[in-house]
Amino acid sequence: MSGDAVYEVTDLLRTFGRGGHVRALDGVSLQVERGQRLGIVGESGSGKSTLIRLMAALDRPSSGSVRFEGREIAGLHERDLGFLRASVQLVFQDPRSSLNPRMTVGSIVTEPLRSRRVRRSLDDVDRGQRLREVLDAVDLPPDAAGRYPHEFSGGQRQRIAIARALAPDPEVLIADEPVSALDVSVRAQVLNLLADLVEARGLTLIFVSHDLAVVRHLCDSVVVMRAGRIEEQGSTEQVFNHPRADYTTSLLAAIPRIRVADVGDGS
Amino acid sequence: MSLLQVTDLTVSFGRRRAVAVDSVSFELGQGQRLGIIGESGSGKTVTALALMGLLPETAHVTGSIRLAGRELVGLPEASLAGLRGDVLSMVFQEPMTALDPTMRVGRQVAEVLLLHTADRGGSARARVIDMLGRVGLADAERVADSFPHQLSGGQRQRCLLAMALINSPDLVICDEPTTALDVTVQARVLRLLDEVLTAEGAACLFISHDLAVVSQVCTDVLVMLEGRIVEAGPVARLFSAPEHPYTRGLVATARIDEVPPGERLPTVEDFYPREGAR
Repeated sequence: MSGDAVYEVTDLLRTFGRGGHVRALDGVSLQVERGQRLGIVGESGSGKSTLIRLMAALDRPSSGSVRFEGREIAGLHERDLGFLRASVQLVFQDPRSSLNPRMTVGSIVTEPLRSRRVRRSLDDVDRGQRLREVLDAVDLPPDAAGRYPHEFSGGQRQRIAIARALAPDPEVLIADEPVSALDVSVRAQVLNLLADLVEARGLTLIFVSHDLAVVRHLCDSVVVMRAGRIEEQGSTEQVFNHPRADYTTSLLAAIPRIRVADVGDGS
Repeated sequence: MSLLQVTDLTVSFGRRRAVAVDSVSFELGQGQRLGIIGESGSGKTVTALALMGLLPETAHVTGSIRLAGRELVGLPEASLAGLRGDVLSMVFQEPMTALDPTMRVGRQVAEVLLLHTADRGGSARARVIDMLGRVGLADAERVADSFPHQLSGGQRQRCLLAMALINSPDLVICDEPTTALDVTVQARVLRLLDEVLTAEGAACLFISHDLAVVSQVCTDVLVMLEGRIVEAGPVARLFSAPEHPYTRGLVATARIDEVPPGERLPTVEDFYPREGAR
């Protein structure tokens, strides 16, 4: 076992349906080191969201183990998960549904600090100070705190979600398709922001996406999933330049590229 | 003569006449494929809905839309309904909302057929099955008897494509038809779209924010920004030598694979700074 594993996932199985006939995850094992930027790619139904839900303890595995900093979290009661909730934060795909429309940005961002479970370690944090700090970190103006999510554009709303994730000063940031619902014109900005934050704060990043080009840009290692299993894992360089699995090759071939030389040949 | 001629199309909404599309003019020839790119709110979809006559009643449309010599602006709903699904049709982004969840897919495709043909005989099902087969559904019989929720995203989108094509329309409008799909499914659906459009000889207006996808389907492209066309031209020219700074920004952000990993990605603002944009 290597030195500084943040996550150790072993033989994870998660089934759904009567008699467990749908295997959303089927024998998944992986390790995430501190400071790693891991991309999880795969098509819908490949199990990538189920995997991160289990890693964030938002769901329980049917069998197998998830260890976070050496502690088993699979099957742990919510009241014992405080340490995980403060250390692992999530950014979801669609900020329109992940931000409560009836809360101000300020109370959304500081909500993790007010949670009873997370609070123990954060009691002495000055919430106002922290709010200003994270809003500044995601390039939102300080007066954003008093406004509501609907007053912001899609890209700005995703910044709010990122600010909320940063508020409890996590070690691990799990982002589930964080730019898929955003407009092309703001995608690059949010990706640059994420890259800067991960770098500046020394975060461990788990980045789920179906967009391989984005993963290639942002992550240092990749897990390719298909039908609940890991098809291939390795460094970004290896997986993209020398894919071992045929499935990875076909995924890479399907990335749409701008075609200007051979337009109209219909192939 | 061109199939579609749009002249000074302007669409505004509500009592305050908020302008969504501002004096847009373009032409589309028989069998031609034109892409419209731009960010959300740029007026791409409103333009498409104006062509289809599907704008809400609060919309105020001026200018001219001529399809095969026939003026569509101001045409009564009954006449438009006769054209929709027959002469021009549309493929929407989200197949789950575009399909009726309570109705078997085959019946939904047949509905489009029966609305526009006098044929009440038993041949409708055969034609539906045939069409589903032509959009690449291997198991057409079973798909026809399925409800939308029993199908995958790619299968649903193919069913929409079958509905749009079954009456051999002159013009198919596709609004982000593959945005909700996985990459490998997207690649398959795009290839198929290319094939069936060629086979049917239909012209296509293809709306997308994905420049790569547009470059694969279309020969020409319009760039829309804040309701106006800021640049237009053949795909090969526009993507290799964009002129408008906004287009340059869009092209730069779309070429993420050319940026060395770890380096800062170019943003549209680098090329086209806007007031208050973040």
